[in-house]
Parts: sequence; structure tokens; C-alpha cells
Amino acid sequence: MPSLYLAPEVRRLALASQGWRGLVAVLALALGVALGYGVHRVHSAAVAETEGAARRLAGQADLVVRAVDGGMDEALYPRLATRPEVAAASPALELEAKVPAKADDRRRERLRILGLDIFRASELQPILAALPEPTDVLRPDRLFLNPAAMAWLGVRPGDRVTVQAGVREVALQVAGTVDLPGRPLAVMDIAGAQAAFGSLGRLSRIDLRLREGVGQDQAARDLASLLPVGARIELPTARARQAAEFTRAYRVNLDMLALVALFTGGLLVFSSQALAVVRRRRQLALLRTLGLTRRELVVLLLGEAAVLGVVGGILGVVLGQGLANLLLATTGADLGGAYFRGLNAHAALHLPAAAAFLGLGTLAAVLGSLAPVLEVAKASPARALRAGDEEELFARHRSPWPGLALVALGGAAAALPAVARLPFFGYAAIVLFLLAAITLLPWVAARLLDLADRLPLNGFAPAHLALAQLRAAAGQVSLALAPLVASVAVAAAMAIMVGSFRHSLEDWLDRLLSADIYLRTGTIGDSAFLPADAQARLAALAGVARIEFRRSLNLSLDPERPPVALLARRVDPRAAERTLPLVGDGRQPDPGRIPVWISEAMQDTYGWQPGQVVELPLGNRPLPVQVAGVWRDYVRSGGSIVINRDDYAAASGDAAANEAAVWVGPGAAESRVAGEMTGLFPAGLVVAEFPGDLKRLSLAIFDRTFAATYALEAAAVAVGLAGLSASFAALVLARRREFGVLRHIGMDRRQVAAMLACQGGLLAGVALAVGLVLGGVLSLVLVHVVNRQSFHWSMDILVPWGPLALFAGSVAGLAVLTAAVSGRLAMRREAALAVREDW
Amino acid sequence: MPAAPSPLILRDLAKSYGQRIVLGRIGLELEAGEYVAIMGESGVGKSTLLNLIAGLDRPDAGTIQVDGADLGHLDDDGLARLRRRSLGFVFQAFHLLPYLSVAQNIALPLVLNGHPRPAIDERVDELLAAVGLLRRRDDSPRQLSGGETQRVAIARALAHRPRLLLADEPTGNLDAATGAGVLGLLRESVKEAGAAGILVTHSRAAAETTDRIFHLTGDALIPL
Amino acid sequence: MGRLLAAVLLALLSCLAGAVDYPPVAAGRPLAFPRDFGSHPDFRNEWWYVTGWAKDREGRDYGFQVTFFRHRPGVAEDNASAFAPRQLLFAHVALTDAAGGRLHHDQRAARAGFGLAEAKVGDTGAWIGDWRLERQGETYRARIAARDFALELDFSPTQGPMLQGEGGYSRKGPLPRQASYYYSLPHLAVSGAVAVDGQRRPVSGTAWLDHEWSSEGLAPGAVGWDWVGINLKNGGALMAFRLRDRSGATLWTAGSWRDPHGEVRVFAPGEVAFTPRRRWRSTASGAEYPVAMAVRVPGLALDLEPLVDDQEVDGRRSTRAIYWEGAVRAFRDGQEAGVGYLELTGYWQPLKL
Repeated sequence: MPSLYLAPEVRRLALASQGWRGLVAVLALALGVALGYGVHRVHSAAVAETEGAARRLAGQADLVVRAVDGGMDEALYPRLATRPEVAAASPALELEAKVPAKADDRRRERLRILGLDIFRASELQPILAALPEPTDVLRPDRLFLNPAAMAWLGVRPGDRVTVQAGVREVALQVAGTVDLPGRPLAVMDIAGAQAAFGSLGRLSRIDLRLREGVGQDQAARDLASLLPVGARIELPTARARQAAEFTRAYRVNLDMLALVALFTGGLLVFSSQALAVVRRRRQLALLRTLGLTRRELVVLLLGEAAVLGVVGGILGVVLGQGLANLLLATTGADLGGAYFRGLNAHAALHLPAAAAFLGLGTLAAVLGSLAPVLEVAKASPARALRAGDEEELFARHRSPWPGLALVALGGAAAALPAVARLPFFGYAAIVLFLLAAITLLPWVAARLLDLADRLPLNGFAPAHLALAQLRAAAGQVSLALAPLVASVAVAAAMAIMVGSFRHSLEDWLDRLLSADIYLRTGTIGDSAFLPADAQARLAALAGVARIEFRRSLNLSLDPERPPVALLARRVDPRAAERTLPLVGDGRQPDPGRIPVWISEAMQDTYGWQPGQVVELPLGNRPLPVQVAGVWRDYVRSGGSIVINRDDYAAASGDAAANEAAVWVGPGAAESRVAGEMTGLFPAGLVVAEFPGDLKRLSLAIFDRTFAATYALEAAAVAVGLAGLSASFAALVLARRREFGVLRHIGMDRRQVAAMLACQGGLLAGVALAVGLVLGGVLSLVLVHVVNRQSFHWSMDILVPWGPLALFAGSVAGLAVLTAAVSGRLAMRREAALAVREDW
Repeated sequence: MPAAPSPLILRDLAKSYGQRIVLGRIGLELEAGEYVAIMGESGVGKSTLLNLIAGLDRPDAGTIQVDGADLGHLDDDGLARLRRRSLGFVFQAFHLLPYLSVAQNIALPLVLNGHPRPAIDERVDELLAAVGLLRRRDDSPRQLSGGETQRVAIARALAHRPRLLLADEPTGNLDAATGAGVLGLLRESVKEAGAAGILVTHSRAAAETTDRIFHLTGDALIPL
Repeated sequence: MGRLLAAVLLALLSCLAGAVDYPPVAAGRPLAFPRDFGSHPDFRNEWWYVTGWAKDREGRDYGFQVTFFRHRPGVAEDNASAFAPRQLLFAHVALTDAAGGRLHHDQRAARAGFGLAEAKVGDTGAWIGDWRLERQGETYRARIAARDFALELDFSPTQGPMLQGEGGYSRKGPLPRQASYYYSLPHLAVSGAVAVDGQRRPVSGTAWLDHEWSSEGLAPGAVGWDWVGINLKNGGALMAFRLRDRSGATLWTAGSWRDPHGEVRVFAPGEVAFTPRRRWRSTASGAEYPVAMAVRVPGLALDLEPLVDDQEVDGRRSTRAIYWEGAVRAFRDGQEAGVGYLELTGYWQPLKL
């Protein structure tokens, strides 16, 4: 009988009594949905943009032959192009060019340059066929920029762009645009690129289109046998997938954080519904007495929750879309992780995603109210009609066992490994621990309030009364506290995780940055490097006590994964821990073996273990090396391998360097030496940095990375506090009569305020006590499970007591304030008069 | 030692709500130990009168002195402190705090007045004994019957030895026999405490347990 | 196509020039074979251009055209990269299927290098991937696998090279430097096969090869041209062209006629006349072409009829022009006197060079 639910009397009973606690629940759900949907939209826009760019670049290629370490012999190109199964072959030289004019840009952005044979490329990439004049395309010094590059460099066709090649400057002229989406990118002639960037004879990639009827897999297998060690065949989608893969952990983690906000919203619905149901027990019992069946009652109340969920969900999607548009318009697709920097993405309303998040919001609301609704439906109407035993409802929840069972489950989930390289069980553990805490909350709250009762409070009447009232309503209090506990726990967990991370990072930086000056020209995969003669000139400068040149490059070990970084530098195999922050003990390499030290990510994703002998695709044949230790690398979550530069140079023949660490001699001023070093080269090509600046910069980047996290945390705590304040106001309103009696008995405003403040403080105390303990547990899960499985790095737990105390103090203060504000309602004259409104 | 001031003096008390005159020029003076009843039709202003006396509402004209203090000269907190010190209330709906035990409910005014703990315990036991509920000391108010609840409420109203006790239909929710017991206790307690008492009721039988009966007509308190 | 592509590319790419000195085309340089069959990489432009008629065993007529074009853009000549675009190669192929009433065509472009695309020096040989035109012994072999047709044709000379202009110095305008080196090989005997609509059909027929190289562009003021090459049944051969200006008036003409005995008559400017006999309007582009043309040279009057009317080529993607190029029959006094190819450009829009 659906008309029953629509009858004004029933509807009124259902919704009107929600009051503004219902409104807060709706807002909380909306916030959760908005964050979830907004973050999701921003990220999917970014990924779509990245993947779209990769896909459009790949064009109609069926297979891609790619250089493993950034360069392969171009002789491979005619060999592949003349294969019977190959219809078209397009060679390319890809490089990340440093733009000295942007050297001050601390984002360290690079211009990706694609050197192409336009005739070959246009057979595979229709976009390139549309390049305006073949004339300019062929000139070795002409660049075609995509819109992102135009915007970033602030140039127009006809302008010149200077990029760095080695330690030289190369001036290129912007000849036009190329309609490719994504990051800043430029297309130029392959001959010009090879000559300008010292890559004569080298190719990064050969895109292949197969003849009709030739199977992709078969061709891939056949062609793979032709390839030298330094080249590998992959599907054109591999790069796009790699890009998505590279950012996946980061995206999923941010999504999860947004979902925590939604979870808190769901908890708020739970708390609001549970309290509303408790309050309305008698009305609901009356309905049951009048003939409403149990099922009808459940449908009525769940429908009510669903309405809250849908309203909150719609509001959330609208807010989330606005948030996504705002973020994309202001900060771009980069939410702090720097993965999507410089990307020009747009997020349109995406109906399936909107529907999914609307559904999640509704589900959170319905699930949130399920427990209290079933509870009230089960209750005997006759008993419920009797006044005053609300707390009896909670008697059952005083048992700690269900909560402890959830704790055990959570612990088990935390011990499980990653699924699809994502810490799903880690998140499951977090949810289980949260649920456990909420289940245990009535029991814990009762114990804590008992404990508080032993304090010598009796002399202070308001405190005494406050405590008595809370103790008597521990069950309801727990419900009111659940959202706050959850959000405090999440915030504390994040704070501990971020604090530990930051501390570990600082330590790590101190360990790594042992030199006095760091000279840098380009980073991995860059167009800029220090050739041998430049190295000699640097080493010969006065004041240099020691100079160590380092080379870093990308090594693609697995087509399905992002490339790993190979860092060639000086490491003493007998005392590797002196130069590298090793995890565990190093291991002496077997005699005659070339030692390498791998990052934790290598251990996690490639399964390499100390002592293992592995092969690196360096030069023209595989180089067997032995893992001599595992080190902590906070920079390259895709994995990194450290090798002695001598070993690297011997194997690859590459004597160039990207970086130099300089120790100055006694009496030499660092700044003077640095100035002389950079002065050897045209301005901006070689940058000297000091460890202090590097450390500051790294930490600033770190802080920016976590800015989005802080925002989400703050949102979760705000939701929790809003819930607490709503619940508290409801408690106060429901007890108007009691306040009236107290006023009659002679409590003055200050005493009532003090009492309410005490209650606020006590509630906050309980929420903080439980939330902080829970947060500690969750932080362990975050550090040891979620972070480790997502980013593959370990860290030392460091509890940031100061900030946590500040945070706890703020929450307590806000709770007290909330209570005081709610108290104003109770202290109105009408409240005192309420005593006389007998019913 | 000067004589104690009168527990209650009302002079020319007037109160209207908008156009409607509820009370007009009411006067009343009670001596210590004097126990009176005020009767009247519903809506005639009995509750308004009690609110004015309790300082929960302000008169349009006239003065109210409770225990020598002119309510017109007190601010809200002053009024609250006056109630705490000098007034006791007994309500029709009892209004015990459900989360406090019987003893704690009775102790509440003493606690608020800052009495020392041993004195509080002693006084609570004394009152419990007086209302015959010593055995229910640590029970929750929920476990009490209606009559027992109102006895506790009376004990709470008198715990701090107020100068003036206001009882608003204290037997309205009780059956006749229980009500008679409560009224007896109330009278005894007022007399024993040496306080003044006002019993607002529309039950003639209840009114007759007091010393004097006034009929409130809106304009005047007419002694019967 | 070859000529048009040459002209367009020349215009497009000429702005690249500057640093490079192209050798001039001058009178009095005698052509030497087989050396001059091969590529002349120093010159800016060069093409090998085969047009012809073929018949399959069922009597179906085909017109075909195979062009390899070489261009020296004059950029990156000092670039050490193996990819340096010193020489570019373009190829264009077309097949007119009279029965199907359709023109098929396809094209390729590449920079020379890695053996993947080259134009040989010393003898005819040009290829882009598996498209090639090559002289082996006396025979030219064309192997083309285009998108929707294929040509597998051998051309055997039955006559010696026909040097155009003054011993191969062919003027293209009033100024002496507006000239090219140009010889033709008419009456090539065609054997081989064409594959169209998925069917390979053995064919035989007659073809005409032009080989031309120069460093100069189109004469100023020219907006289009008409060119024709006819293998006459009696063993003679006629080549004639005119450049038109904006008003449609003739700006320059040239031509030569070799009679069956091998006597060559080279016509002075003004001795060649093209007169439209019938026009055909393309529904696709709206352009109107004089697909039936009367060609008059001293001693010879030919009326041309196209194999099919619609031999319009939409080359907007490569040459940015729409033009007509197709197989034609030549009639002398109402009798079929030969077959050949006619090229009509500048009728859609003036060539913007």
C-alpha cells in the first residue's frame, strides 16, 4: 500500500522529525558525494587526456618497437620497414627537452619533443598529415607545438624557443601548431632532432602498421626475434596504460580518501537515523499498534533514508561537478601529486559516474539507517510505548564481542597482500577497523564515562550533572559521536602517516644530500647532459675537493609498467649504507659480480631479492648484475636501480652525466665555486643547487602533494563536527524540559552553559580518545599496508604529538563551542517554561 | 537579630499578553509557615502568577518581593540564584531528572547551593526518611510509582529549606488516595520547614488541606 | 599529376631554397644515355612519368599512369643525420578502368634514405618501399601495389629516346632559364597485368615515358596548362603543351612530332594550338574541362576523345588542386589515329603557386 507512505500524517512523521540533523546528514552526504565525484572527474579527465594524447600519437599503429633505455640503433628501422608483414613503419626520436627560459619554473617541467619523419608518420597518424607546410616540417630547426606547449611557453608561430641539448643551447623556431592533446609537446623533423640533441643514429621508437590479415600477436612474436637487446616490441596501448598505471595508485588513494568523506556522511545518516528512531520510538510504536506491519515500517524508514541519500547525492553531484570544473579551471588536473602537471583537461558531466556516486550516496544513507531501522522494527510496540527507556535499546550494544570480532577481521585484512597492485585489503582493513570502533563505541564510551565519574567532579555541580546525564545516555551519546570518531580517526591516521612520511623523507634527504653543491643539467630522459669534456672542465676548477658525476636514465623492463630509473653513481660495495639509505643489511656481491642496489619498489613489483642475479638491458647485450641491497627511494615509485657509474659506463659506453655532486675544499666558498661552475656554460644550462635548498624544495613539493589530502581530511572532520553539533542540538532540544527544571531549581545561565560545555568537552574527550587510538591503528595500516602496496616505500612511524595535540585541542574546543551554541537554545526563557507544557 | 523578611509580598501586580489582561493589580503577602491555596478556572492566570513569582516572567506593573528581594531589581542570573536559594518547586509532571538517582535528584539543590558533601548526604537521608523512601535511595526515578515520584519531588523542593514553596497541581497526575497522601506530606513539610507555601490547584479537596484559599479571578485574589 | 605535383611542390618548397645553388638548365648540354636515364640529384626537380593504354584479354581498355618524382628541397644538406631530407621522393599512380568507368589513384611520399626510398644515379631506378619503376636491361619494370589496385607492368622500348626541344633542352617560358631537360620514350610495348576489384588481369598495350629534370618553376602569369602525349598508330608520336594565363589565353606553347621514320619536328612557340571541342562538367567539383580537345600543329591535326569523361583527380590533399588527367583517343579526319594521355590543369581554380 504505497499510499500509506504518501499520507501526509505518515510523511510528516517520517521526515519532519528529522529536523536539521537530517539536513546536516544530507549536507554530509552531499559533501562526500561531491568530493568523491569531483576528485573522480578531475582524475578521469586527466587520465582520459593523457591516454587520449597517447592514443592519438600512436595513431593507427598496430605495434610499437621501443628502445629500452631511450635509444636504439636506427639500422633497425629499414630492417623492420622491409619486413613482409609490415605495411608502414614510422621512426621517432622522443626526448624531454629542458627549456632554460623555464629554469626558474620550480615545477621542473620539460618540453616533450617528438622527432618524426613526417612522411612516415603521416601514414600512421592522420593528425600529422594535417601539418600545414611540408616546407617547414622538413627544416631541422622548426618546431610544431601543441596548444599546451604554446600556452606553457607563451609563444606564437614565428617565435623562437631555446632548448638545451647537452650543455649547448639550440634555438628552434615555432612554425605552427599540431593538434595533439595532453602535456606540452612539440613535433620536429627527425633529422633535426637527431642532430640537435646528439642522437645521430639513434631512435626511441618505431611505430608499425601491419599489412591486412597479419595477426598482431604473431607479428609481435616474429618481429621480436629481430630485435637487439635494447629494443622491445609492445602494443601501442601499452604506453597509455603505463601512464594510467603510473598514476593509478595515487588516483585510487585520493578516491578512497574522498570515499572516507562519504563513509563519514553515511555514518552521520546512521547516527541521525538511529537517534531519530530512538526519539520516535513511541510514535513508531503507536503506528505499529494502529496496524502498520513490521515490513511497512521498515520500508517507510528506509525510504526516508533513501530520500535523504538521493537529495544529498544530487546536491553532491552538482557540487562535485562545480568542484571539478573549478579545480580544472584554476589548478588544472593536478591535485597535488604532480602526475598531471601541465595537462589541459576538461571534465564534462559524466552521467554514469554521476549515477554511480548518486547511487553510492543513497546506498550509504540506506545502509547507515539499516541497523537502527531493523532494531526498532524488531522492538515490541507495547514496550516501546512506555516512556523513558530509550537507553534499553542500547543495552544489547554494551557487549564488546562483536566489535572485537571486527577488530580481528580488520587485522586479518591488513595482513593480506595487494590485489591488482592496489591495497584493496588495506582499505578493507580501514573500513573494518572503523566499523569495529563504532560498534565498540557504546561499550568504550560507558567505560570512559565510568572512569570520568571517578574524577573528583562532585564539587562542581554542572560537571557532575553533565557527566550523570551522559552516563545515563551512553548509547545515544555513542551514536552522536560515531561520525566524529570516524573523522578524528581518519584525520589522525593521515596526520601520523604524513608526519612519519615527512620525517622519514627529511632523514632520507639528509642522508642523500651529503655533498656541498649539486650541479644539475636535466633529469632522466632529458635532452640535457654533461659531456666528457664538460666534466673535465668542472673537475679542474680550483676549490673542488671532490666531484662525483652521476648519470640517470630510464630503463624499460616491462612493457606493462612504467620505466624504472637507472642511477649510475659512486657506491662503495663494502659500505653502501654510507651513501644509500639501505633498508636492512646490505649484502656483499659475489666476487666478479657487478653489484646493484634496488629500491623497495623493485623488490615489490619485480620481486627482486638481495643476492639475486638479474639482467639489465644495457648496451647491446644483457648485463648480469647482482642485487647487493635494497634502498629506500621516495622519489621514484616506479622503481629505481643504483649501479656504480664505472660499471654502467663500461657496459653502455655512455660517459655522459646529468648531475654532479661537489665537495669543496677547505677555505673555498661554496657559492663562489658554484658560480664558477655554472659560469662555464651559457646561462641557465647548468644549475647549481645547495643541499639546504634542495631539501626545502623537496619538502615544499611534499607538502603540496599532500595539500589535497589535508583538504579532504578537513572536510571529513568538518562533517564529523557538523554531525556532532546536530546531534548535540537535538539532544539539547529533546531535553528542554530538563533544562527547564534545572532553571527552576535555580541554575543560572553560566551554570547551564558550563554544564553543556562540560558535556561537549566530555563528548569530545571520548571521541578523541577513541578516535586517536583508532587513528593510530589506521595510521599503521596506511603506512605499512596502503602506502607500501601503493607506492612501495617504507617509512618510520613518527607520531607528530604537537600537531595532534593541537588538532585534539581544536576538536575539543569546537565541540565545547558547539555545545555552548546548542546550549543557547536551551537557555531561552521558553525552555524554562517548557516544564509547564504537560503533554 | 532583625526579623526575617516576609517570604512573599506581591503588590499591585499586573500582567497582560497583548490586549489580553491576565492579571490586574494582584496583592498578596505570606508569613513564614503560612500555606495557602490558589484556585481558579483554566486560563485565569494561575500559571502566569507562579511564573511571575518564580522570576521566569516579568510583570507589567507592581512589585514582587521574595524573601526580602525585589525581583524587579534582579537580572536573570540574580533571579536564578534567588530561586536556587529561596524557592522550591513541585510540578504536576514531577520532572525528576531521569539520569540521576532518587538521592541525587534530592541532592541537586544542595549541590547547586554549594553545600559540603557530608551535609548533603545527611540532609538527603533525612528527607528520604521524611518521605518514607529511604529504601529507594539509589533507585532510578523510572522505577518509582507516581506517588513515590512526587514524594521525591517534594523532598527535592524542600531540600535546601526554601522560604517559599510553589506547588502547581502536584496531584494532577495521581489517583485520589495517592494524591491525598502527597498533599498531607506537602502540608507537613511546609509547616515543618517553616516556609511559606502556595498550592495551585482546581481541586477543592486539595485546596482544603491549606490554611487559606484564594480564588483567582484575573482582577483579584479573593479569599474564600 | 607528375607535372602538377612538380609545379606545386616547387612552389611550396622553393622558399626552402636559398642556401643551395641548383645547377641551371642550359642549352647545349647533350644528353647521354644511360647516364641521363638515371637521377640528377643536384637539380631541384625530376620525374619519370609513364602513361599508357592497355587492354585485357576480354578487350577491356585501361588507361594508366605511373610517376616517380624526385625533389631536392635544399634544406638540411649539412645535417649529418641519415634522415636528413636532402632528397624527397613522391610517387603517383592512376588506373582508369573504362568498363568500371572509374579512375583509381594512390600516392606515396618519402625522404630518400635507408634504401627504403631512392632515385638511382646512372640509370632509371626509383622506388618508395615496394613501389618501384626500374630499367632492367632495355625494359622498364613498374611494380605498384596501390590501395585498391595494382600494376605489374613491363615496358619495352620499340624506338629510341625522343629528345624534346633543342636536343633535350625544352623551354617552358620566354626566358632561357625557364627550361628543363626533357626526353620521351613513346611507343613502349606494355605487357604484364593490372589487378583491380580483386582480379588480376593480364594486359598488353602501348605506353609513353617522359623523363624531365630542371631547377626552375612555372613561368610567371601561368595559371594552368594543357599537355598531351599521343602514340600514333603509324608509329609516330606527338607531344604538345600550352601554358594558359588568367584569361585563358595561351602564354607559351611547345611541342614536337616524330614521324614514323624518326624525323622529329620541333615546334616554335605559337605553332601549337589547343581548341576545346567538348566540355564536361564535374558534378563533384563543378569544374568544367575541355575533355575533348582539338590539337593542331603544323602538318598534323588531331581530335582527342577521352576514354571516359570522368578522369578528374581530387588532389587537394597533396597538390591542393583538382584537375583532369586521363587516357584519350586521337582521331585524324574521323579515323582513330592513336592513343595517349591528356592533362588539364587550372580549370577548377587557378593554380596558386
